[in-house]
Amino acid sequence: MKRLVALAALVAALYAVPALATPYLLHVMVLSCLYAIPAVGLNLMLGYTGLVSLGHIAFAGIGAYVAAWLMVDARLGFWSALAIAVAASGLAGALIGAICLRFRSHFFMIVTLAFGLMLYSVMNNWDDVTRGAAGFPGIPRAPGFTTLESFYRLALSGALLAFAIQWRVVRSDFGRILLALRQDERLALAKGVNAALCKTAVFALGSALAGLGGVLLVSFLRVAAPASFTLAESINAVLVVIVGGAGSLAGPALGALLFVALPEYLRVAAEWRLVAFGVLLVLITLFAPRGLAGLIAEGWRRVARRSQ
Amino acid sequence: MAAALLEQVINGAMTGSVYVLVALGMVLIYGVMHVLNFAHGVLFMLGGYLCHFFLTRLTGNYALAVLLTMAALAVVGAMLERGVFRPLQGNLRNQVIASLGLILALENLAVALWGPNALQIKVPATERLVALGELRFPLQHLLIIGVTAAVVAAMFVFLKWSKFGTALRATSQDRNAARVVGIPVERMDVASFALGTALAALGGALVGPLFLVFPQMGDAPMVKGLAGILLGGMGSVPGAVVGGLIIGIAESVSTLFLPTDYRDSVAFAIMVLILLARPRGLFGVRARGEP
Amino acid sequence: MLMRLVILLAACIAATAAAQDKVAVGIVTSLTGPMAPPGKFQMNGFNLAAEEINGAGGITVGGRKYMVDLKVYDTRANPAEGASAMQRLATVDKVPVVLGELHSGVAGAEAPVAQDYGVPLILTVPTGPNLTEQGNRFLFRVNASNDQLNLALVDFIQKQGWAPLSFIAWNNDAGRGGVNGMKKLLGDAKTGYVGYFNVGEVDFSSHVSNIRASNARAVMLFMDEEPGSLAIKQLRDAGLKTQLIGTLAMGSDRFLKRLDADRLAGMVQYNAFPPNADTPRIRSFSERYKKKFGEEAHGFAAQSYDGLMMAAAAMQKAGTVSDGKKLRDALAGLEHDGVIGRIRFDAKGQANPPVYVTQWCANGMRRILYPESLKADCGAG
Repeated sequence: MKRLVALAALVAALYAVPALATPYLLHVMVLSCLYAIPAVGLNLMLGYTGLVSLGHIAFAGIGAYVAAWLMVDARLGFWSALAIAVAASGLAGALIGAICLRFRSHFFMIVTLAFGLMLYSVMNNWDDVTRGAAGFPGIPRAPGFTTLESFYRLALSGALLAFAIQWRVVRSDFGRILLALRQDERLALAKGVNAALCKTAVFALGSALAGLGGVLLVSFLRVAAPASFTLAESINAVLVVIVGGAGSLAGPALGALLFVALPEYLRVAAEWRLVAFGVLLVLITLFAPRGLAGLIAEGWRRVARRSQ
Repeated sequence: MAAALLEQVINGAMTGSVYVLVALGMVLIYGVMHVLNFAHGVLFMLGGYLCHFFLTRLTGNYALAVLLTMAALAVVGAMLERGVFRPLQGNLRNQVIASLGLILALENLAVALWGPNALQIKVPATERLVALGELRFPLQHLLIIGVTAAVVAAMFVFLKWSKFGTALRATSQDRNAARVVGIPVERMDVASFALGTALAALGGALVGPLFLVFPQMGDAPMVKGLAGILLGGMGSVPGAVVGGLIIGIAESVSTLFLPTDYRDSVAFAIMVLILLARPRGLFGVRARGEP
Repeated sequence: MLMRLVILLAACIAATAAAQDKVAVGIVTSLTGPMAPPGKFQMNGFNLAAEEINGAGGITVGGRKYMVDLKVYDTRANPAEGASAMQRLATVDKVPVVLGELHSGVAGAEAPVAQDYGVPLILTVPTGPNLTEQGNRFLFRVNASNDQLNLALVDFIQKQGWAPLSFIAWNNDAGRGGVNGMKKLLGDAKTGYVGYFNVGEVDFSSHVSNIRASNARAVMLFMDEEPGSLAIKQLRDAGLKTQLIGTLAMGSDRFLKRLDADRLAGMVQYNAFPPNADTPRIRSFSERYKKKFGEEAHGFAAQSYDGLMMAAAAMQKAGTVSDGKKLRDALAGLEHDGVIGRIRFDAKGQANPPVYVTQWCANGMRRILYPESLKADCGAG
């Protein structure tokens, strides 16, 4: 019960942020929310089911470009475009996922990477539809959410929706099956689990969430460019999930905050900053494999133990 | 048409040779340690930079600079194995993250030390052009193919007939059994990493004079080399060679009849298609304990 | 006694500090990543302009002198970073104007933010034509767009009768935009093979073979100087003697050093400004650039230099160093004699600078071939 009250207070505080924050801080918070949404999808795939996808953000790109085309060329409204785009990314996830899932571990990783690169090529080269490498400008903000403050609330709502979906899935039987698949697939199969179906389903769900993030991102930036959906971005998403804490509910939020907020406030000598970042990552894998969430949980436990 | 096709096949063999060099190093490391080292591309890049450094600062002799580069990076490889990849054995996810961290750190280190502009490795001796019938190729290009072929041959001999090579193969087939027969498995790990890194360094040093040395130079060969290994079969050396060549040749030949902006996609599409037909790759072997 | 001395000293320092008024000017560019080399040229232009403005005492507005202080942000060719940088510049650093950017996609994310906060954004390198089609009154562009570049080039090429034309191009906004524009203007009959490659790729052998097989009369290279030097080397090594056409990056001495005059002889390139042209404004700039940076000037630097100079002139004209809207109005009506020529923004915020075509002579010098009125011989290009 106490946890629920704390959570409600947190959510209320988050919605109240625009009243207190500077525009720049709000901007950073919006980006954090928008990076967290695909991260939640990837967390379900990677953290809970053990599927390391290196092409996740390409699905955000699918959602983004479908919505962009629908809104600008087909003159459809924002909400219809959003719904169709999310469905499209989910469908793409199901189809492409079905192919990728025929492979395991290293093979799976690289096939997802390959698909990510192929999708990027389409976004970059199909000038007639996607406007190609120069980007697709003129994408409108969601009606009624055109200011920074109001868009923040929209982005926050999207993020909270994603987290709610994650929580629901993790608590459900489906979620338990996913965990079982990660821990010991053969045993799960022996118990009658349809591994292929479940993994495809989570791939599709993850991709749909990525699509949601993608639509909101290009609506926020008002431009869709292939540069937002490169391999580097997919790798970023993996890092967000892992550093935040894969397989933990709060992981994507912590990771997204770290990855968006930290670079914004550490704008010093660019190369050395990235060198330090790389070294930090290596250290994290060696000494803090459960990511930020793990460190926080560990710290919590130590405090609790000491107070006894 | 046939002439154009032949020319593209030769072009593809040349680009494929670079992929093969990268792939060989990765497959060696993967075979023995079951570690997929994504950072292989930046090691290739460091090979280029170090070769430039040795050539311009220490010795004017290209061959010597190449050997020094290989030695230096072998040491780096050994350190990486000890410090980063040994503790992470068995944990695929963390290996990937650590590799990515290494890529970030090393690529930006190169920029911080040498700047973002490309460097040139000038080796006048290899700039001569060699004529093959109607076609002309720079000597360096043929050198790359020649050296790659020599390295592949040497590796075959080494792995098949030398004691050390046999020990490496044994470790890759079954670690525990190897330990039982007294093979120092940890030493095999270090050796494979050092050797693999030296191969990457060789690649970068060879490619430097023909093209340029710049921080991102290892990215594409790494991804293509990876596709080649997958295609050829993850733990297989002949697979790495065949896979790398297939990718290179497919890319070049595809420009004859497909829009060139999709050239990359061709390589990946072929990889996926072959894997769908043969999930373990062309020469892939089912390892013990794999479903 | 000591206390009073300290207070006096502090007051003096404060007084002198106050006399050094500063105006922060925002810059967005690529400092890291694969676009860092062109980013450096852009920064050189801004730095040179800032140094000259400050050396002359600064910008005079309302009787006070303001030193230009560049606030530079690395957007790394990423649209989200561009939007963040723009947001920060507008609301945290509170700059009255932002300049720069390299990448059209990123500029597309920065422009709406500029409009939101009424801070004019002056582009000095991105060439994507649809940037100025969005009805954004706060967006200006000093450099020629792809459409303008292609018009000039096509005019020249058609006069020479160079057809069919094949291409090797970067698979990014600059390369694709260039190729698409040329194909649209020349038509399918006159254009042939298009070889795209990714930024960072260095092996053009497959493209070279196809170009040879297609019997192209000329090859247009849409890329920067590093891959350009490799492409030309590979083309010439393969024995191709076709006419080469390059971008402004391939018109500098630095480029010449990467190759040699033999391989380059006869190659033409479009140029924002030919560094050795006899016109005083160009020659003077080239000399000052060479003195500060030790190398020949680059078109991006000239464009950026002009951009900052225009911003300073607009501030003086509008009489403000903080009001973005007044600044925008001043810019809209400003006519500026820049290094690259007379700059005046049209209703869409686009300037119309002259586009030159220069050619490498066998002796390593350049001549100007186009526009006809500005033709000049070897050594004056």
